[in-house]
Amino acid sequence: MSQSSSFLERIGFFKSGNVGESGWGRTLGVGLISLFYFLPVLFIIFTSLKPQDMALSVPPTLSPTSLFGLIPDHYVFTPTLENFSSVFSRSMTSGGAPEPTGFDRYFFNSIVIASTSVFLALIIGTLAAYGFSRYPLKGNDTYLFIILTTRMLPAIVVIIPVILMFRVVGLSGSYIGIILLYTAFNLAFTIWMMKSFFDELSTDVEDAARIDGSSETKVFLKICLPQVIAGLAATFVFGLILTWNEFLFALLLTGPDTRTVPVAMNQAVSSGGRGTDWTLLASIETLFLIPVFLVTFFLQDHLLRGVTFGTVKR
Amino acid sequence: MSASANTALSLKGVTKHYGRVRAVENLSFEVAEGRFFVLFGPSSVGKTTTLRTIAGLVRPDAGSLEIFGKDMTAAEIKGRGVSMVFQSFALYPHLTVYENFAYPLVEEKVGKEEIDRRVKETAAMLKLDKKIDRKPNTLSGGEQQRVALGRSLIRRPKILLLDEPLTNLDAKLRHDMRAELKRLHRQFGMTIVYATPDELEALSMGEEIAVMREGAVVQRGTPDELYESPKDLYVAGKIGSPHMNLLQAKTGKDKSTFETALGKLVSPKKLAGAQAGEAAIVGIRPNDIRIAKKGEDAVKTQIRMLEPLGDVTVVSVAAGEETLRLVLPEQVASGLEPGQAASIYLDPEKFHFFRAAGGEALS
Repeated sequence: MSQSSSFLERIGFFKSGNVGESGWGRTLGVGLISLFYFLPVLFIIFTSLKPQDMALSVPPTLSPTSLFGLIPDHYVFTPTLENFSSVFSRSMTSGGAPEPTGFDRYFFNSIVIASTSVFLALIIGTLAAYGFSRYPLKGNDTYLFIILTTRMLPAIVVIIPVILMFRVVGLSGSYIGIILLYTAFNLAFTIWMMKSFFDELSTDVEDAARIDGSSETKVFLKICLPQVIAGLAATFVFGLILTWNEFLFALLLTGPDTRTVPVAMNQAVSSGGRGTDWTLLASIETLFLIPVFLVTFFLQDHLLRGVTFGTVKR
Repeated sequence: MSASANTALSLKGVTKHYGRVRAVENLSFEVAEGRFFVLFGPSSVGKTTTLRTIAGLVRPDAGSLEIFGKDMTAAEIKGRGVSMVFQSFALYPHLTVYENFAYPLVEEKVGKEEIDRRVKETAAMLKLDKKIDRKPNTLSGGEQQRVALGRSLIRRPKILLLDEPLTNLDAKLRHDMRAELKRLHRQFGMTIVYATPDELEALSMGEEIAVMREGAVVQRGTPDELYESPKDLYVAGKIGSPHMNLLQAKTGKDKSTFETALGKLVSPKKLAGAQAGEAAIVGIRPNDIRIAKKGEDAVKTQIRMLEPLGDVTVVSVAAGEETLRLVLPEQVASGLEPGQAASIYLDPEKFHFFRAAGGEALS
């Protein structure tokens, strides 16, 4: 990458504009397939921009613009941002004054709860994974398997004891409670992911650092961790998406103050007995998409290396 | 080579087992200061474990280790004054060449300017000054090797351990690096312990060689000593290329005549250690056999195969049931063809005698 590259190039938006060896034909083909997979997302984004009465119109309106007359008028809708403002404030009864919906709070909750628990799981899980990888216990694999089994049970099976325990210790409805639960929930996955990354590292490199005078702490922090940044990024994103999406625990264990977006979304669209407000739902979903999209976008280079790690001899 | 004040390294009865695997078994040797010492033996013979024990990465189950007269058996890695080059090079993949060089100095808390000076000096010495900002995976094998060397040398270690450092390089580079290593040894004068399974590396670089077998040293000596008087069949078979010819034989009553497929071979002196009638092995190096001159005590053979190697040719000949290999100058071998008869002369002064059971040399 040259020094004069633009901001977009530097953050990896255009991969230096290179079509690569496959040529335009294949690139176009891949682009079309990607677009096909992207259609549901595109549909949601467009719906969030439609006037409420157009949401379910048949035939559906497909585009916010006529593309210079290419698309017939009855497929075109006039985009509006009204749905987005009604996510945060709208009249709850017909003809009433707009009231705040509390969604600013719910978004804040989702961001705080998901990022804190994924970060915590990443820190604890990485340390545990390093231990499992470098200082194996007797029966190491058994312990790892037991950790994995915590994720084999469907969440619905364990939710009742968790609810009861949380009630007894007063964690129900608190931030700490749901963050702890999500941290534990993410740990198994984090440990398994990170262990496989640590296993791939050459122990000779660590021994070289020991001979060069590094303590065990420095071997971990200065030699091992920097080599698994891709793994940390991948684990972080996967964990974030899982936690960001989580509905069941959040439904049963968050209170009015700690409610996350998936739960609030459900209540927002089904309340009032007016049937589902599709454009409102689409707006919430579009907003809900943005944080995960941004994180994934900024970590994309690491991610690609992370998910293909160990599959290619470097 | 007795233990004197300037013994750099001394191992006594070092033993290390990994579960049932005996990596090192009652290993003892000493290395004088400033010597280029080679640990030679096939893979998984305990060379790496030995080096790792010296470095402090492995704590021995038994035995002791002294470095410059100080007991270091259980000492911390830091402070041993030992550095090591790994077979895999073990460069820090996330750091540039500069940072790789600087790493040991940073850990020693050397000042920034001093680090910069020494890194640049080391890079220049190893002709890496133009690659200083590169990451290891963008370098060629030879360059990576030099980075690994530089990172070990930059601390000015008293003892440098090299674990098969040339194994991962191609043949041409290996040759160049052998010369480079010898030059560095002359320049810095540090003690080097060099592990290799390659006899050419051992013989061409080692001032002293310890031949290892099953975690212990079988024989220790200069390259000449090992070549001229191998202690047993194992050493005889490992040192020298092409390998020594080994003939089944029966010891005669006079303990100096040996009955072989080539007829009677006579030792120039009586072998007191031999026992009349026992099975023995007579070893003759391919370089010690030549085409017989007229009037010499010749053995009649038939040529089987010719392997021209440029200035010399390895000739395989059949004599009875046995096959002998001999090395002939190219001019001599050029007239020969497979199937031809050839009379060869074996130099009795160069015979090696071993007991068939146990393999120890007879004298």
